[in-house]
Amino acid sequence: MTFRLTCPVCGKRDVYEFTFGGQERGPRPEQDELSAEEHFRWTQFRMIPCGAQAPPQEEWWYHAQGCGVWFTTRRDPGTNLEVVGDGDE
Amino acid sequence: MTVKPSFNWLRLRRLWRPAPVRRHYDVVIIGGGIHGLATAYYLARTHGIRDVALLESHYIGFGGSGRNTAIVRANQRTAENVRLYDEGLKLWRTLTDELDFNLMFFNCGTLNLGHSEAAVNAFRMAASTHNHLGVKSELLDPQQCAELIPGLDISDRLAFPIHAGLYHPPGGVVRHDAVVWGLAKGAAAHGVHIHQGCEVQGIDTDGSRVTGVRTSLGTIRCNRLGIMAGGYGAAVAAMLGIELPIHPLTIQAMVTHPLKPFLHHVFSSGAYHVYANQTLKGEIATGAHMDPQVNYTNDATAYYLKHQAEALVELMPALRGVRFMRIWAGLADMTPDMAPIMEGHLGYDHLYLDAGWGYFGFKSGPVAGKYMADYMATGERPEMLKAFQLKRFLEGRYSGETAAVMKYGHWD
Repeated sequence: MTFRLTCPVCGKRDVYEFTFGGQERGPRPEQDELSAEEHFRWTQFRMIPCGAQAPPQEEWWYHAQGCGVWFTTRRDPGTNLEVVGDGDE
Repeated sequence: MTVKPSFNWLRLRRLWRPAPVRRHYDVVIIGGGIHGLATAYYLARTHGIRDVALLESHYIGFGGSGRNTAIVRANQRTAENVRLYDEGLKLWRTLTDELDFNLMFFNCGTLNLGHSEAAVNAFRMAASTHNHLGVKSELLDPQQCAELIPGLDISDRLAFPIHAGLYHPPGGVVRHDAVVWGLAKGAAAHGVHIHQGCEVQGIDTDGSRVTGVRTSLGTIRCNRLGIMAGGYGAAVAAMLGIELPIHPLTIQAMVTHPLKPFLHHVFSSGAYHVYANQTLKGEIATGAHMDPQVNYTNDATAYYLKHQAEALVELMPALRGVRFMRIWAGLADMTPDMAPIMEGHLGYDHLYLDAGWGYFGFKSGPVAGKYMADYMATGERPEMLKAFQLKRFLEGRYSGETAAVMKYGHWD
């Protein structure tokens, strides 16, 4: 089953128009005095819970086959669906 | 003289029986797939640790164990991986014997197709590594590829013509459901309790060690805990607040309607994102890309059905008009270096993790279980698992598996 994402410019579009940009991780840590371990933790380590209690994931998408905008949205990895406000799609 | 029937339908017996849930076990394993079942089996068989519970939220083999395309091979890229998968490949024969269960290992060999100069160079280097380690692997020219795979288009009509093939005779196909059933039978015969429909909802600790798991069948205490939940491993680790370099992605597979036997080897093409083999029923079982976004669903999409049809018909024009009958999806837990994570004492004493197998989880199942059982029984990391520690990702010492010849998507 495919699903749609809400592009802030084009509205709801098929997910295959978009490129996944990964989980929102906050600002990149300063390079000065950054240890290798901190660097790798920030770039590669993630927590991706699943289940009814798990909060939706805030993540980046790129509308590659559309308007070319980068945006963030919230999606539930347990259902694949975008979570907008309090309710689902 | 009366002839005894060799097989009596009236005397069919269960392979294993459900056991009552006890409130405490020495070892609890989360995940009733091949990795968890194999670990439980070897714990009981090799180490005599029979106080073992295996918790499965759906039914055994629900996840990747029953959703893969059943291909087994040992032609990985790096020496430490080739050694592990080679031992795994040799286990199918001994396991068939040991479990007294036909795993239907079809030793048909696998052929990887290369469509560029770079791929041919990668083949040469890979074949050198394989041969150095005693694993059979050889470079074939396009004509030889066509002799192995009838109907393969080796002309320059293709967008990416075939330059060479890497043939790996020890590879083949194993019936994945049989592996699940055989291991369950073997584990249960040695006293392992298999609890299906038992969903893990939380993990209890006392700060330094894991004390038990909260499940839909009540709390079960344990001394040692193994997380072997395949694609769901990252979600289970998240219950303990453990971050991992793992992205769970869905990968789709499908079968065509049955055809007369014509395809006698597994073939795959990285450039076209195709791997295919003909099942004993005659269907062409073929697999595809991964969906790009992290998720824990088993959703299949028409998008890849179309892609797969295009790619298969491009490589094998005679398949035009053949129809797909079924499509399904499973999870692949991808690590940045395409090698697994097998770790012990992960943040807590006697917490073990076997995860990050990506799309290599089926062929590695029994051998991973064997070594994880050694690890869990002794508490000491086996020599074979030194290359698969989690800390390699924090030290920038990635495994070289990403240079393997089977490149399928932007994750490799």
